[in-house]
Amino acid sequence: MQGSSFRRSSIAGLPAGSGSALPALLLVGLFFIVPVVALLLRSVTDPEPGLQNYAALFGSGTYVRVFLNTFLVASVVTAVTIVVAFPVAWMLAIMPPALGSIVFGIIILSMWTNLLTRTYAWMVLLQRTGVINRALMALGIIHEPLPLINNLAGVTIGMVYIMLPFMILPLVGTLRAIDPMTLRAAALCGASPFEAFRRILLPLSLPGIAAGGLMVFVMSLGYFVTPALLGGTSNMMLAEMIAQTVQSLLNWGLGSAAAFVLLVVTMALYAIQLRLVGASRAGGGI
Amino acid sequence: MTRPFLSIRAVRKTFGAFVAVHDVTIDVPKGEFLTFLGPSGSGKSTTLYAIAGFQDPSSGDVLLEDRSLLSVPSHKRNIGMVFQRYTLFPHLSVAENVAFPLRVRRRSDGEVKRKVADMLALVRLENFADRFPGALSGGQQQRVALARALAYDPPILLMDEPLSALDKKLRQEIQAEIRRIHRETGVTILYVTHDQEEALHLSDRIALFREGRIEQIGTGEDLYLRPASEFVAGFIGNSNFLPAEHLQTTGGASTIRLADGSIVTGVKTTTSFGQGQKVRLMVRPEAFRLTPGPANAALAVEIVDTAFFGDRRRVVARLAGGDEIDVRPTSDAEGADSAIASGQRIFFDPASAFLFPA
Repeated sequence: MQGSSFRRSSIAGLPAGSGSALPALLLVGLFFIVPVVALLLRSVTDPEPGLQNYAALFGSGTYVRVFLNTFLVASVVTAVTIVVAFPVAWMLAIMPPALGSIVFGIIILSMWTNLLTRTYAWMVLLQRTGVINRALMALGIIHEPLPLINNLAGVTIGMVYIMLPFMILPLVGTLRAIDPMTLRAAALCGASPFEAFRRILLPLSLPGIAAGGLMVFVMSLGYFVTPALLGGTSNMMLAEMIAQTVQSLLNWGLGSAAAFVLLVVTMALYAIQLRLVGASRAGGGI
Repeated sequence: MTRPFLSIRAVRKTFGAFVAVHDVTIDVPKGEFLTFLGPSGSGKSTTLYAIAGFQDPSSGDVLLEDRSLLSVPSHKRNIGMVFQRYTLFPHLSVAENVAFPLRVRRRSDGEVKRKVADMLALVRLENFADRFPGALSGGQQQRVALARALAYDPPILLMDEPLSALDKKLRQEIQAEIRRIHRETGVTILYVTHDQEEALHLSDRIALFREGRIEQIGTGEDLYLRPASEFVAGFIGNSNFLPAEHLQTTGGASTIRLADGSIVTGVKTTTSFGQGQKVRLMVRPEAFRLTPGPANAALAVEIVDTAFFGDRRRVVARLAGGDEIDVRPTSDAEGADSAIASGQRIFFDPASAFLFPA
């Protein structure tokens, strides 16, 4: 949201000090825009000019299934992340600031820990003979180990854990702006806690849910490490497929086409979100 | 009436070692406008919150028509409330804000529509139904909040300093609206404020809070004309307090000696003081006269400053002992100008003055 307002002001006229943004812009230009253009060119020229890579991509059941699975995983991860993050964000929003900053620190700390380490840790926890299964069996809650890894459950658990901070941070911002008195007013008006949540808190927190949800969804679409380690072969995601296509099959054209499709989908989602956020702002409702 | 409509019984609230409310007991008849007045931290809001259900009292009970409210959660108490801060739902239009309590009660669309129209007419905001709270002024927002709080015909309406965020002129306007709405609906109102003028303007009765206790409860006239303590006299209206020594009391009229040695006789008193006991004499600024009066209540003064306010004058006078007093005679009092000019003595009616222990 801040990004969009910054962009608007820079279109109207370059703000003072924009010269110092030059190195970053150059970096992005050289190492993002140029490769993306190269990628696009490769997808329509390799091995020969034409759209045959895209035809292969959308024509093959396998590739389409990978696409669908990617969206499924991203959707499930986003939904679960929202549900798990909301109570944490609400707690942070209403907590005394001193205590809140400690909890905040813990959440941030998890983001600073190496991604691969955390994913391997989950492998240890989730496998058939892992800590979780053994603990549950020792407690007599289950008799057979639960299939927690190399499937959608494993990917979801691992990715939700990684995505949580990206959901919590924007959500806390939105929730902090809601006066808790508003909820007391709703209660006195006769709204049960559930009604107050459904009719007041949830609608008021939608901008935060949308911002965090999109971030998580988009990041999930292109995730590689966690799905590769915790997912199974039957639910491969797009990033893994691209890596295989390029590394094992050396099919640069097809890999580029898949990567480009992913980029286009991501950009389209971002555009939709900008529109929605802009519209709700213009309405003056929130 | 045999039983009180709303009964607050020995409500006590402690936060750790701090006692915010000390065993407050009040009975409120149906339809009354009762104001909890007091400085901040005097326990008036805490008492209100106990009725609203936001903070359970540590002990005591709150009974509405003989049924305890304490075990009832806020959303089932069926109480209306207007808050100090703006608490309209920002994502809902004015009409939907007023409709909210009816919607959660699952009333029919027809009834909701009719009631919302009635309520908006009551607060005179019929033309604002489709606006959003963000597009309303503070005064309008509080009127919508009032409409929302009354939409479900609650037996009690709680108001927690609803006008404190508004400027003075708007406050007076909305006070008049609140009086009218109280008259028209007959709802029982408990109103919290720290503004004594607001309390006097609005209330049938005022409960003056001090450090978690009710210092005095009564009509505005009771509190102003018959203050039970120096605190009440000082909080309601303007007062002059002069140190004095009690000499004797006969038949409710006391004789005292002021710091400058002058003797005042016939001061009304309800307390009994010992001879020579240190007391404080309270005289309202408007009880002073610049024109000659009875000699048993005359003060030798030096006029320090005078100002003209249209309907009143304000005169600052200094007694021989150095104490300054605030004098506000009506401006048309005959001979006031010459009295100010020569300014040697001012007079007051000792029957309208009070004695409090020092």
